[in-house]
Amino acid sequence: MKGGRGAGVHIFGVRHLSPAGAFHVLDYLERVQPTAVLIEGPSDATSEIVHLTSSSTKPPVAILAFTEQLPVRTVLWPFADYSPEFQAMRWARKKGAACAFIDLPSASAICLQEARWERVRPDRSDDEGSHRETQESQGSGDEPLDLYQRIAEISGEVDYDAFWERNFEHNLSPDAYRQAILAYSRQMRELTEEQERTNETLAYAYNAVREAYMCRRIAETIAEGHKPDEIVVICGAYHASALFNLEGAMSDEELKRLPSRRTKLTLMPYSYLKLSSLTGYGAGNIAPFYFEMMWKQMIRGRLGDLPYHYLTSIAGDLRNVGTNRSTAEVIEGVRLAESLAALHDGCQPSLRDLRDAAKTLLGRGELSVIAESLARIEVGTAIGELAEGVSQTPIQEDMNRQLKRLKLDKYKTAVANDLVLDLRENRRVSSEEAAFLDLNRSLWFHRLKLLGIHFVKERSRAQGQAEWAEHWILQWSPEVEIEVVESTLLGETVDVAAGFVFQQRLESCETIEEASSLITVAYECGMIHQMEAGRQTLQKLAVESQDVVQIAAAAGRLARLIRFGGIRKIDTAPLTPLLRQMFMKACLFLNEASRCNDEVAQAMAASMNELNFVAAEHGDEVDEELWIQVLTELSDRDDAHARLSGFACAILLERGQMTAEQCSAEVSRRLSPGIPADLGAGWFEGLAMRNRYALISRMSLWEQLNEYIGKLEDEEFMRALVFLRRAFSTFSSKEKTMVAELLGELWGRDIEQVAEMLTDDLKEDEARMLDELNDFDFEDF
Amino acid sequence: MSNVYSMQDVMRLPAELLFQDELKALIAEDRGTIPTGWQMSPQAVLKFIVGGVAGKQKITPKYIGNTRIVEMAIATLVTDRALLLIGEPGTAKSWLSENLAAAIYGNSGLVVQGTAGTTEEQVRYSWNYAMLLAQGPTPEALVQSPIMRAMEAGGIARFEEISRCASEVQDALISILSEKTISVPELGKEAHARKGFSIIATANTRDRGVNEMSTALKRRFNMIVLPAPADLETEVEIVKKRVAEIASSYDLQAAVPADEALHKVVTIFRELRSGMTLDKKEKVKSPAGVISTAEAISLLTNSMALAASFGDGEMTDEDLAAGLQGAIVKDDDKDRLVWKEYLDHVMKKRGAGWRGLYNACKEINP
Repeated sequence: MKGGRGAGVHIFGVRHLSPAGAFHVLDYLERVQPTAVLIEGPSDATSEIVHLTSSSTKPPVAILAFTEQLPVRTVLWPFADYSPEFQAMRWARKKGAACAFIDLPSASAICLQEARWERVRPDRSDDEGSHRETQESQGSGDEPLDLYQRIAEISGEVDYDAFWERNFEHNLSPDAYRQAILAYSRQMRELTEEQERTNETLAYAYNAVREAYMCRRIAETIAEGHKPDEIVVICGAYHASALFNLEGAMSDEELKRLPSRRTKLTLMPYSYLKLSSLTGYGAGNIAPFYFEMMWKQMIRGRLGDLPYHYLTSIAGDLRNVGTNRSTAEVIEGVRLAESLAALHDGCQPSLRDLRDAAKTLLGRGELSVIAESLARIEVGTAIGELAEGVSQTPIQEDMNRQLKRLKLDKYKTAVANDLVLDLRENRRVSSEEAAFLDLNRSLWFHRLKLLGIHFVKERSRAQGQAEWAEHWILQWSPEVEIEVVESTLLGETVDVAAGFVFQQRLESCETIEEASSLITVAYECGMIHQMEAGRQTLQKLAVESQDVVQIAAAAGRLARLIRFGGIRKIDTAPLTPLLRQMFMKACLFLNEASRCNDEVAQAMAASMNELNFVAAEHGDEVDEELWIQVLTELSDRDDAHARLSGFACAILLERGQMTAEQCSAEVSRRLSPGIPADLGAGWFEGLAMRNRYALISRMSLWEQLNEYIGKLEDEEFMRALVFLRRAFSTFSSKEKTMVAELLGELWGRDIEQVAEMLTDDLKEDEARMLDELNDFDFEDF
Repeated sequence: MSNVYSMQDVMRLPAELLFQDELKALIAEDRGTIPTGWQMSPQAVLKFIVGGVAGKQKITPKYIGNTRIVEMAIATLVTDRALLLIGEPGTAKSWLSENLAAAIYGNSGLVVQGTAGTTEEQVRYSWNYAMLLAQGPTPEALVQSPIMRAMEAGGIARFEEISRCASEVQDALISILSEKTISVPELGKEAHARKGFSIIATANTRDRGVNEMSTALKRRFNMIVLPAPADLETEVEIVKKRVAEIASSYDLQAAVPADEALHKVVTIFRELRSGMTLDKKEKVKSPAGVISTAEAISLLTNSMALAASFGDGEMTDEDLAAGLQGAIVKDDDKDRLVWKEYLDHVMKKRGAGWRGLYNACKEINP
């Protein structure tokens, strides 16, 4: 399997993101001194190599390919400093060797992967919508999982990653990696190929197509004049054995028949956090920062020091958060890790050994003590960087343009800054752009928020804060950069992307509540067209609905938008007809919906409040007369929920739609002895939910209540008491005192006597009576 | 090891005698590097604990469910660090420590049992006072503690329930563990530990806070927390294996309980321990006492003894119910309520398979 057979090209199989792989690749390149370095990766990304290897590029970075048309599909090829491919690219640049990607171009890769994906998980094909992201699958990651588990078990390791690290990552003797991996992958392939050919035909075909294409590219490189033994191919271990022989290279005919979709490629900064959560290409990379540490030790020639670095870092991190651990414990940790490695005949501790040693020594047996430190030291927070303008997605350009336009450049820092916006026109400046600077900022911030770009965070609005003031916190981080790049899949500018996201959410929206909150979002973002689309959706949903609670809530929202619309310079007039319609609808169904149980009554009362607010604020736009009429009806009805009837009565009273006589008649009608106590007292509870001062000042009301209570039988009294107690529970203590004084007056006590009664401690028999009340059997209610 | 046990009539044999065939077979086939003072290589010790085959001898697993923990314990002892096993009652701390000592040193008998009454002399050394008075301090009058004997022999000493001792007694270990010497000023000499010396201590999480170990002492141990068995199947396997072993060593004339009975007992124990039904759908109250795997084992052997002595040797639901009653309702009236609640809310709904056991439990718990 050495250079002698086949085309004579040097093949180097690697595991992606493997420090030892990177180390051996460099070593191998130095020895072979090739004139061309060919790398498994999308061939249309070859032009990006120059950017990838530029000195201002700081890994982790990734190549992102995405389709231009909907539904958007993406493929990602991440690179870390310790990626063999990355190191090979840098070597080629330094030595002036030719360097190219030789795998299927992204246009075809996306199509073929999609075909595979659909087949493998037909049931999941749509649930992730256009956000689905596939990773270029790891060469040797295509075989069934249980095989890997078996390998780990047989070798006595906890999992495959531990097996891999122990067997491939620690051995730095020349050529060991390449030979071992060649033999290993050939055997793995022999084991699984037959089974794959019959059972997983798509996976098999996909690999075959890729390998044929790679062979073709290798052949082309030879044809360009590179001597076969001066070409090094770096590919996933799984493909290594298939690339020796170029006979199966793809023909022109076959090349033409490759499916393809228009795609775009870009480089993007990447993060260790994302790298550690990848499957596929990044599989096995649960601890990127640890691997970086390993890589750094390797090139320093001091791999043996890795355990010290790892455990010292953990201890250091623990000390930072206030858990003190001594150097002696770090030393013992290294000894324990080494002795664990020796149990497995390893030449040095694996991550698993180190982690267990850290748990035993630094965590004193408890993982929870060190869990956070482990995350920081194993995964790390590194985020890649690219030179300005390299990551070329239109949305990034738009982002920069907007930052300039809105004079926000200086906020593009990692330090969190507060920004208070005043949405009103600034009359001291001349240009309109300047006058509404803060408003425009606000609109843009809301769009970023809609896109899930965490550059801006809105402070929650304090009660009573002016409608025209907004408080934002701005903080730029590389994670934000990544979010921006990812948004490119949704649209070319922030506006377009926000519109797209809005549209998607609107299409999936099913309730009135969602639709009305979407209208608010559109309003906050200043997206007129979307607001109109939201209006239409809401209107359609409202037609179908008879849910008064939801309709009232939506109407309340609309009313507020209409009222404050001027602040954002948005014409909210188109919303008015809808508000009218919703209000009317709520009115029509109110009486029907008032025949409900206690639980719903709670929400219904809130809805009535909301509707009353709408009627009061927008009396010109909505049918206020209808509202009064409905309330009157509800107030008179005996079959509606008593509390709601009482509440309707209270509103009417407050609005001056009921005279004192009418009220007094209603009170005596409701509180007559024949009426069950729960209905009578429940009605009173509703009545007392609004305008308490008006009630308290109405002496006749208390006389009636007093009379009513006096007439009740004992059993009835107990029941009524429960409701009355609840009705008064929401009163403030001052209000309660006022009521008590009024009643005291009725009973012929003067104010001082009442006050004395109220402030005295409970007497024993009184306390007992209250206790008895607590034992009251509520089952009948 | 100088005593000659008669294998038949000893109530409980130490691990090195109970498994002496296995140890012999392991030593015979051992090809690994043997650390100084050990009688076999770490790999062989691992095999002794987790099971396997040595030559023709089958090695029974002694600790089931978590090989990695055993590896960590052995690796600790290789680095001549002291090992502290922490866990809930009944998580096989002492069992693991005894078997480790038996495999590594061939003698698991050098034990200090920690109690509130343990004195520093029991950790270091004391005197034969008659001799001391007659001859003054002489080496003959010195009574060495198990730890001191282990030091001089380069072996493993065990310290059971270390957190039950008073702090000053615990702290007597600090100098032993860091300097690896015990000085006897009366004789003007020092006992130096030979290579291979180590201590395996156990501590109970339920004792936490009673006699909290000092940080200085904690730093001298590698601490490993032994978990309760991870899942139902593992626990059933553990119980089954131990019950069979105990039954044979006590010559119980009863059939080893059927898998079904084992499953039931372990299910009840796991549910009461975790405060939740196995399907995680219902909450269950936990009794105040400990509901460990060891309790399940002793419950089943109890029930077997009942069946053998007063029944026809076949374990019935009544025997099981009596055992459960004793294990779960320890001293507290509250436990009785917890158990009744469990019977009526959980067990009653379990269907026909559980009916017999439910009725039997209900009978003694009306």
